[in-house]
Amino acid sequence: MRKFWTVLKREYAQVVKKKSFIVGIFLTPLLMGAFVVLPALLARMKSSDTEMLAVIDQSGYEIGKEFAKSLETYKLDDDSTAYYSVSEIFELAVDDSAAFASVSDSMRKMVSEKDLKYVLVLRPDPHLIDSNLYLITNSDNFRSINRFEYQVSHILSSMRLEQSDVNLSVDSVLDLTRNMSLATQDAKGESIPFMIKYFSAMVFVGIMFGMILGYGQLVMRSVIEEKNSRIMEVLISSVSPFQLMCGKIFGLGAATFTQILIWFLIGGLLFSFRGILGIDPGIERILFDPLIVTAFVLFMVSGYLLFSTVFALIGSIVSSDKESQSFVAPITISMILPFMLGISVVQEPNSMMATVISLFPFTAPTMMMMRVVFVAPTLTEYSLFSGIVGEALLSFLIVVLSVLGMIWVTSKIFRIGILMHGKRATLKEIVRWIKY
Amino acid sequence: MSYLTLENIRKVYDGKVAVEGLSLSVPKGVIFGIIGPNGAGKTTTIRMVMNITIPDSGRIMIDGQERPKDFKNSVGYLPEERGLYKKMTVMEIIRYMAALKDFPTKEAEKEGWEWLKTMDLFEYGHHKVEELSKGMQQKLQFITTVLHKPDLIILDELFSGLDPLNIELIKNQLLKLKAQGKTILFSTHVMEQAEKLCDHVCMISKGTKVLDGRMADVKASHGKNSIELVVNGDAGFVSSLPGVAKVVESSNHLELQLDEGADSNAILKQLADRVPVRRYAFVEPSLYTIFIDKAKIAPSELTADAGEGSDA
Repeated sequence: MRKFWTVLKREYAQVVKKKSFIVGIFLTPLLMGAFVVLPALLARMKSSDTEMLAVIDQSGYEIGKEFAKSLETYKLDDDSTAYYSVSEIFELAVDDSAAFASVSDSMRKMVSEKDLKYVLVLRPDPHLIDSNLYLITNSDNFRSINRFEYQVSHILSSMRLEQSDVNLSVDSVLDLTRNMSLATQDAKGESIPFMIKYFSAMVFVGIMFGMILGYGQLVMRSVIEEKNSRIMEVLISSVSPFQLMCGKIFGLGAATFTQILIWFLIGGLLFSFRGILGIDPGIERILFDPLIVTAFVLFMVSGYLLFSTVFALIGSIVSSDKESQSFVAPITISMILPFMLGISVVQEPNSMMATVISLFPFTAPTMMMMRVVFVAPTLTEYSLFSGIVGEALLSFLIVVLSVLGMIWVTSKIFRIGILMHGKRATLKEIVRWIKY
Repeated sequence: MSYLTLENIRKVYDGKVAVEGLSLSVPKGVIFGIIGPNGAGKTTTIRMVMNITIPDSGRIMIDGQERPKDFKNSVGYLPEERGLYKKMTVMEIIRYMAALKDFPTKEAEKEGWEWLKTMDLFEYGHHKVEELSKGMQQKLQFITTVLHKPDLIILDELFSGLDPLNIELIKNQLLKLKAQGKTILFSTHVMEQAEKLCDHVCMISKGTKVLDGRMADVKASHGKNSIELVVNGDAGFVSSLPGVAKVVESSNHLELQLDEGADSNAILKQLADRVPVRRYAFVEPSLYTIFIDKAKIAPSELTADAGEGSDA
């Protein structure tokens, strides 16, 4: 037991003493934060320039003019400058296709040269045929596009009403048929914005993925280094291969958790300034959800143990970093699966597929974590034996059993594999070592 | 009284017999050499003593016990394949290796500096291993093998890769350790080294023991009628002279074994008639000669190995 600690302390010190460890502690959250925060900031940033547009109106109903007028309600931040400026409205005869061709060509050119941001095109009968109405633009500014859609719909609806024989004023019909937006609340009667849930899940799963893969591979490299430097045989004349293996796994595990703990402390510090930083209260609900915190700790620990044991196994049967790469790829994929299935899990966190994947040991830690982040904050009551809590417990149990099984298999292979030099062990040999 | 005993050890790898029916008895406080060409089974034997590989059959006893409880702490082992952590400093390595033997850190530091002084490494204590020359690294490896004061020291191909100066330095330390009552087991394929150092010797070839015993007894049992011969010029005719039973070529001389009752003067005369003789002396038979004689193998099998050893 004392030798296990000796190995553990060395492995821990080897990582923590390195400059890269300190750099990683501060650089990783910065990069992660940049990924999460920057797009949000950019999206929130209001335009400070008036957007230029033109209208080609071949409808014959002067829709273009009305559209231009409707845009006058939108202002920039200073509340006085117009948001949109309609530079020109080309009113073409319904049957003048030659004029349409030349105007639309020149407008397209202006869009591609950025003299114009949008060109609204109204071909004949846009109120009857949807496809006779379109927007030419190189921008994906969905806010502007939504506004245009709204205003054009409004104009066309009025037109249709006037042409129909409904015996009511146009305004009252529009008022009666107005769209409504559906606000969502969860079972607790609250609502956490979707983006908050999604980013929180990404952060939790991202930390698990990055730390397990990063430090797991350090376990592997450490074994490979000891094989290649030929120090292995000296070591195992002092400690048992099992002590050595466990010392490595737990030593590097301690380094992993040191790093995560420091992050949580930094996070807690930032969080105490949540008022100033404008952090959404939804984040608070996710970060302090007891179920999510428990799940993170349990799956982080068990996931690390599972994967680092696999990495120790790989380290013992390969003879170089290069050789190990073909083994590392499937591990990476199994961990990254929740990201790859991302949107479908987000939409249906309790689907059959998501459930099955979160019960398979190698995908369980990250997948279950993702599901817990999505489902847990909305729970009104917990049951240990059903629902997401029950599944999480079952999944955790499966991972723990797999860890034990993996440690057993690895210890059998490890003690022989570490003394092999120069060539990779064949599958046949490995099977024999397990039986031995 | 035997300190380390091997009883009828057998080990088979992939259907190939590595060691067969090997029994050894190593007394306490001696330097015991296991000699034999590469592939004879020396490393396999040593690894079985170290409990790194498990014999298929047979028993290994240390101090009367099979697998004593604190065996790992009371043995110092230097394998043939050996290395160090490149990024650690000399003192860190010494502390770590000692800690792995449950040797107190404070004492390890004190002993460590003493050993560094002895081995001319004192000023490198705080250097990283990668800054050390290969010879220095080997001396450091030797220090970490013996620092925790083990009762049994096992050295596999100790001298391979060492320069002559360091061989001399380490030999002296081994003799000191023997004087302190330590038991030293080492293997080599270079017979000359074993000859100068060992009290006891065991020769193995192709996995089986050829001969073992005290060095003096081994030599005595091979009689005195060995002659060391050095001539200027071609001595290819020597083996055809009457009375010469056998000629063994060594690196810088020939060793003749004469027939029982052969007239050595007559042989010298015949030699002197044909080539200038630089040296003609009665000697004890060398281990090399005994080995070839006993193992019934062609000298080429050994010389190939010896050549490999001398440049290593």
